[in-house]
Amino acid sequence: MIIKMDRVKEYEALVNIYEKEGLDISLFGDRIAAIIISGDKIVGLNNVEGVEIVGEEIENGVKASVKIRDNVELPFPIHLCTGFLKNEGYQRVIFDITVGKNSKVKFLSHCIFPYAKDFTHDAYARITIGEGSAVIYEDEHVHGEGVKMRSKTEVKVGKKGRYTGKFSLTKYRAKELKVEMSVELDDYAVTELVSKIKAVKDDSVEVKEVAYLNGRSSRANLKTTVIAFDNARANVVNEAYGLGEYAKGHVECHEIVKGNADVQTVPLLRVRNDKAELTHEASIGRINEAQLMQLMAKGLTEDEAAGLIIRGLLRGF
Amino acid sequence: MLCLRNITYEDKNRRIIENVNMTFREGITYSILGPNGAGKSTLAHIIMGVKKPTEGKVLLDERDITELSITERAKLGITLLWQEPARYEGITVEEYLTLGGKLNVSESELRRVFEIVGLPYELYCHRFVDKSLSGGERKRIELASVLLLKPKYAILDEPDSGLDITASDLIDRTLKYLGKIGTTVILITHYEKIAKKTEFSYFVCGGKVVRKGFSEEVVEYYKRACGKCPFLEGMSDDH
Ligand SMILES: Nc1ncnc2c1ncn2[C@@H]1O[C@H](COP(=O)(O)OP(=O)(O)OP(=O)(O)O)[C@@H](O)[C@H]1O
Ligand SMILES: [Mg+2]
Repeated sequence: MIIKMDRVKEYEALVNIYEKEGLDISLFGDRIAAIIISGDKIVGLNNVEGVEIVGEEIENGVKASVKIRDNVELPFPIHLCTGFLKNEGYQRVIFDITVGKNSKVKFLSHCIFPYAKDFTHDAYARITIGEGSAVIYEDEHVHGEGVKMRSKTEVKVGKKGRYTGKFSLTKYRAKELKVEMSVELDDYAVTELVSKIKAVKDDSVEVKEVAYLNGRSSRANLKTTVIAFDNARANVVNEAYGLGEYAKGHVECHEIVKGNADVQTVPLLRVRNDKAELTHEASIGRINEAQLMQLMAKGLTEDEAAGLIIRGLLRGF
Repeated sequence: MLCLRNITYEDKNRRIIENVNMTFREGITYSILGPNGAGKSTLAHIIMGVKKPTEGKVLLDERDITELSITERAKLGITLLWQEPARYEGITVEEYLTLGGKLNVSESELRRVFEIVGLPYELYCHRFVDKSLSGGERKRIELASVLLLKPKYAILDEPDSGLDITASDLIDRTLKYLGKIGTTVILITHYEKIAKKTEFSYFVCGGKVVRKGFSEEVVEYYKRACGKCPFLEGMSDDH
């Protein structure tokens, strides 16, 4: 790992937070391709065989390109760490990721904003996946109370390629969150997008997942789970466009509501090829009173009972 | 001592429980008998705090607990086995029984209660407490959960319903175990044989206590009375 001398402190501060939050600190090891961002600075960068990460500091943030060669199969994930360790401010990060042919990689993208009180984060990622390659992109978050986050990911999956996107924000406040993911699929390409978000108090959450099933026999599975408590608002839009012959798409949205939360889910399916097949499943469920009361009769508080029920629901979906 | 004092409960202007008095003393086993719709489950819910009585008080060792929440009552040692135990997505039996890790139970304790409820522990601990469990299995697991809590007062709302031919033995083992750990049992049932396993019974009909006394005697009365429902008006005059 190349760590710039004047940035050692920020680097170490991030490692400490990983440790405190129970995240995997081995991700900072030498065998892991990584870019470590703090604020508008690149504080660490590491490349391994087959991976080339080039970073550039821009106004209020960082722009990075990540190139994976053909036939690369990494035993470890690629670590994209975006930290912001102040209370207030603005940050934007732009990732341009290109994966060659027949490669297999996993990205772990960590957003570390533990002290955020009034902070806006814009993230844009463009991911281009070559023929026969498989990419997993997983998000993890450590958020303070006041994060306004807007994240947009645009993915193109080549023939027989595969993209799995996982976004999860359930342990920390969502506050103001807007997540947009769209995937274009070529012939026989497959995608799975899974998002799990918890919104409490006056949080507001918007999720949009879109799959363009352009290719013949392409497949998409979009799954969103939102838990909305108190006065939180959530709006989930899942769209699938069936354009290719024998394309198959499924969109699924489950919302779990408690209190006065206001949620809405809109599935949009559009078939433009009569051999394409799209399905959707949506549910808005209140945490069942009987479940809550029965757990409370065992001495759990209402919050503890809800926590246990939701943990199960999240696992199930 | 757990007491219901002049409890009346109305739901949408319909009187479901009328002026009920009951006393449950430590060390004695009780049953509540009565036909469908008599108000047995409603009484259980009133004791647990699921329903607030329109009139009257719930007392625990002379303390008025009528306004306490379900959780607060549970923390005072009262628990309820629901007539219809809920099902949960994605929660394993083991997690459920330890309340998501909140309750400290040893494996030997778990095995002990599984023996009592008549299920092999290994076969069930990793199952989910969801719709995949049969009615009887769900009931047995719920009973195991109640046993692990070691409550002071356990209200068991028809623990025997939906169970197979081994139900009677199961109730024997349950009463024996709860007796040993000092739990006062309030058992709601339709079955005379089950009621007879307890010492003292209340016979409830039409939201009123129509008879109370030693279980043997109340059961005899119940047997004679059933089949004549609705019979409340004529009978309650006698008592
Ligand atoms: N929410 C409600 N609205 C109207 N009536 C209700 C409501 N809940 C219960 N009841 C009525 O109250 C009466 C008592 O119900 P309860 O469930 O206590 O009976 P039970 O004795 O437990 O019967 P069972 O043996 O069938 O379990 C019934 O007539 C029932 O229909
Ligand atoms: Mg009942």
